[in-house]
Amino acid sequence: MKAPISRFIVNGNSMSPTLKDGQDVLSVNWFVNPKVGDIVVIKIEDKEIVKRIQSIHDREVFVEGDNKEESTDSRYFGPISRDQIKGKVVYRLW
Amino acid sequence: MKLLDALIKILPSKPVYAHCDIPCGIYDPHSAQLAAKTVLTMVQKINELPKENPTVEDRNSFVRMVKVKEEHAELCKREILILWTDYFKPEHLEKFPDLHDLVWKCAKLCSENKRHVDEGKAEELVEAVDKIADIFEKTHTH
Repeated sequence: MKAPISRFIVNGNSMSPTLKDGQDVLSVNWFVNPKVGDIVVIKIEDKEIVKRIQSIHDREVFVEGDNKEESTDSRYFGPISRDQIKGKVVYRLW
Repeated sequence: MKLLDALIKILPSKPVYAHCDIPCGIYDPHSAQLAAKTVLTMVQKINELPKENPTVEDRNSFVRMVKVKEEHAELCKREILILWTDYFKPEHLEKFPDLHDLVWKCAKLCSENKRHVDEGKAEELVEAVDKIADIFEKTHTH
C-alpha cells in the first residue's frame, strides 16, 4: 500500500517558475481527486514526473509543464490515464 | 511553517522529474555542423585536384570526394530536418520567427551542394547550419 504522503525533490526546470530545480515538495497520495490546474506526480515508464493538469476528459488527463519551452508532456506523449496520477502536490518548501 | 518544513525534511525523499528529458537528451546540431563542414572540405579538395591530365589516382580521389560530398549533404539535410520536426517547438518559433525560413533555405543548400561543386554555396551551407545550431543552443538550457 502506498504511503499517504511523499516527499519529492524536483529535478529539472519544466515546472519553472512554480517549482524550481532542487525544490522540496510534499504530495498527498490518498484520495486524490485530480482537477484542472492541480500539480500532480504521475508515473510514466517507471519514472515519476511532475506536471500540471490542463484538461480532463473521462479518464484521460492532459498534462503540461509550466515552462512550455523545457517540458516534455502530453503535447509529446499524449494524454495519460487517470490511474497514472500517483499524488497531488500540496506543499512546496522554500 | 518553519516547523512543518523541518518535519517534512525528516521524511525520506526521492526525485520527481521535471525535465524535457526525452528530446533534449538526444538532439544535437553537432552532427549537422560536422556534415556541412565535410561538404565544404570536399568541395575545396575537389577544386585542388589537377584539372588537366588527371592520373588514375586523381580520378579515384575525385570520385571518392564527390561521393563523400553527396553523402554528407544528405546527412546534413536529414539532421537539420530532424531538429526541425522533432526538437523545435512552437514556443521556439515565437522567439525565432525566421526559423522555418532558415531551415527551408538550409535544406535547399544541401541539395544545391549535391548538384554543384561551388565553394560559395558550401560556405553558405556551413553558415546556415551554424545559425540553426545557435538557435538550438539558445533554446536548449540543459
